[in-house]
Amino acid sequence: MRAFAVSMGLAGRNLLLVRRVPSVFIPSLVMPLFILVATAGAFHGIGALPEFAGASYLAFTIPMAATMGAGFAGINSGMTLARDLEGGFFDRLQSSPAPRIALIMGPLMAAMARSVFTTTIVFIAGMIGGVWLPGLASTLVIYGFCLLFAAATSCWAIGVALRARTVQAAPIMQLVVFLSVFMSVAYVPVDALHGWLGHVATYNPVTYILTASRSAELTGSIIWSQTWPGLVASAGLLLVLGAWALLPLTRLNDR
Amino acid sequence: MSDQAVETQDLVREYKGGVKAVDGVTLNVESGGIFGFLGPNGAGKSTMVRMLTTLLKPTSGTAIVAGYDVAKHPDKVRRRIGVALQDAAIDPYMTGRELLRLQGVLHGLPRAECRARAESLLERVDLVDAADRRVGTYSGGMRRRLDLALSLVHEPVVLFLDEPTTGLDPVSRVTLWEEVRRLNREHGTTVFLTTQYLEEADQLADRVAIIDGGRIVADGSPSELKAQIGFPMLSVVAADGSTPDDVSRVLATFGEIVPGAVDRGAAVRLPGGSKAMADAVRALDEAGVRFAEVDLTEPSLDDVFLASTGRHLGADDDVSE
Amino acid sequence: MSAAALATRQTAALAWRSIITTLRLPQAWFPALFFPLVLMAIFTASFGGAPGNIPGFPPIRGFLDFAVCGAIVQGVLIAGTTAGAAFATDIEHGFFDRLVASPTSRVSILTGRLGASVALGVVQALLFLSIAAIFGARVEGGFWGVVVVVIIAAIFAAAVGGLGVYLAIRTGSGEAVQGMFPLFLALLFFSSAFFPLDTMTGWYHAVAAVNPISYLVESMRDEVLGGATIWTALTGIGIAAGLAAISITASAITLRRRLRVAS
Repeated sequence: MRAFAVSMGLAGRNLLLVRRVPSVFIPSLVMPLFILVATAGAFHGIGALPEFAGASYLAFTIPMAATMGAGFAGINSGMTLARDLEGGFFDRLQSSPAPRIALIMGPLMAAMARSVFTTTIVFIAGMIGGVWLPGLASTLVIYGFCLLFAAATSCWAIGVALRARTVQAAPIMQLVVFLSVFMSVAYVPVDALHGWLGHVATYNPVTYILTASRSAELTGSIIWSQTWPGLVASAGLLLVLGAWALLPLTRLNDR
Repeated sequence: MSDQAVETQDLVREYKGGVKAVDGVTLNVESGGIFGFLGPNGAGKSTMVRMLTTLLKPTSGTAIVAGYDVAKHPDKVRRRIGVALQDAAIDPYMTGRELLRLQGVLHGLPRAECRARAESLLERVDLVDAADRRVGTYSGGMRRRLDLALSLVHEPVVLFLDEPTTGLDPVSRVTLWEEVRRLNREHGTTVFLTTQYLEEADQLADRVAIIDGGRIVADGSPSELKAQIGFPMLSVVAADGSTPDDVSRVLATFGEIVPGAVDRGAAVRLPGGSKAMADAVRALDEAGVRFAEVDLTEPSLDDVFLASTGRHLGADDDVSE
Repeated sequence: MSAAALATRQTAALAWRSIITTLRLPQAWFPALFFPLVLMAIFTASFGGAPGNIPGFPPIRGFLDFAVCGAIVQGVLIAGTTAGAAFATDIEHGFFDRLVASPTSRVSILTGRLGASVALGVVQALLFLSIAAIFGARVEGGFWGVVVVVIIAAIFAAAVGGLGVYLAIRTGSGEAVQGMFPLFLALLFFSSAFFPLDTMTGWYHAVAAVNPISYLVESMRDEVLGGATIWTALTGIGIAAGLAAISITASAITLRRRLRVAS
């Protein structure tokens, strides 16, 4: 209970910082928008392939842009933590009796909160482009997958921050999230993939997350056979990356 | 709680590469006082504080702070200590009030109490007017005062201040000293303070330990330590025609020579006090030693440091922490 | 030695210094190679089914042939931004003061930078074309096709290099120059650099249709895919040269103004 209260306090601070530091705020807002508009605009024509079964390419791109936005929200938490570690603010947290788990739960919850914001932005942009929300249940499913992805990527970024203890590790945090999304079914359905990416995407958990939230977006209903692989992939990512973030927490005062 | 605020036994911290920043420190700090931990840069002060505040694991030895072992019960220690670290790590984008409330949350205080504590502490350290400004706009003195307030949110029994006045102007420094004294007097908070300023230790602390090269080289109240040195020091600067050795040879007959105390001359501890000074000057005359300056000083903490290490405090700033 | 010969020698020396410092810092050259190549690979695997199968996309040998020129232009943009940021950092560290105190010809400051950008652009174009060739792409235009692609890339590199110098002097901060990169990326994406103009619709098509980058990349692409004429080649060279003229003039003016202030 106390861990929760402290996590909330730290998450609140994290969100406050995002609002007050424009160099953090603007990219986290603009990036998912740019990905949505640039992808849907530049590759609009690809939607005519038979694998898309007549779906609008903008609607097809919305879940990917929302997922990328959630990934950015996660990375942001790691970057704030890295800055705290470098600048010494983390010492303050560490010398307080705050439960250790709260030190990573705070940034993680902030990332999830931000992902709600970025997902909403993407939905709004989609509506401006003429793609209406897919219905309440499906919309919630997409929000849910974005929340889970934000949690997973923030675990990844937090783990990097706790090990590297410097903001210079930010490119590593970003690169891995970027590649994990793009080396999946970011642009086309899995059947349309050619060569190496077909194999990589099959083993990439993000493929299943995108497929699940895309199915919700495009069909407007929740098709269980498309959804459960996404849930399993999210749970697996959270488990592995959660361990990755928690491990250094036990050795905080070793150096 | 025991009457010892801090008790360490053979505390060692070894960094990678085998450098021992703290090398077997045994220390007892009684509750209720102000303890000054004095040493030059790189002597091991910060490493010591980081261990006592649970930020760093000791390589060996034990440390008991506020009644609990820092390695075994770090959480219980953290509830009882307040910490203000050297580089006042304060988030520049948050306001003073926000930071104080967050600190309350970190210590698990209920929301209403967080607010109330924040208000009373802002008042106490005289930051009410600046409370809603971002910390990035604060002056150095204001930051340190906020840092002090932050470390007091949960009314700690032991307060650790790591070089609280380094880089402050004299006025801000005195203000902070006043606050620390008041805290100790009115709330009975034990203060563990590190400093590289002799004056600070002398003014504030009722007990001082001197650390050098990771080891305690002297320990006691400032007056005790000075008394150990015992006698006032007579320094004589040689004039043209005489060498420091000439001076030293004559002075040695009056007491113990203090090595390295005077650049172009010599110094001696005078058991006979100021009376013996006249004798010493006469003896120099009779021996035909020419001298330019004669000075008699009461022992200071710098002399204590000099006597324990053979160096002046702050003489070797090249070793950074 | 004549003034012109001296300026040439100093230009070469300063260009060489830029190239060496770029090569020695992996963070300076790695992104300019890695990102375009990875994106090219991902696009090729994702859009491999597009040529000939969707309206507006002609049947061609493979998507890689289509994608390689966009990758070259992207690489040149990244390299130019990084170089501009490095120059700005130089300025932050008192580069101008040192320069004003030296008898270096003022022109060679600029030409040195541009020379380095051009050299790196040529290397990038050849490298990307070779890598694409290894994975099955072919330049239909043959030797002269390659030459045209490299020439356009080189002139465009000078244009981006000039822009980098301009931004570096104007902002004086490496971070600020690097911060402009998303804008360049937008310029690139809102063009036909990665996908044919004819497949786009609505306002996006309108923007891409007036974006000079579209025609720059397309003229390079004509050399790779076939169907290039002297006119398509000249279009690309003309656009690159026009952009270079604008950015180099702007950078020369700011440089002169800045040096007058400094001295």
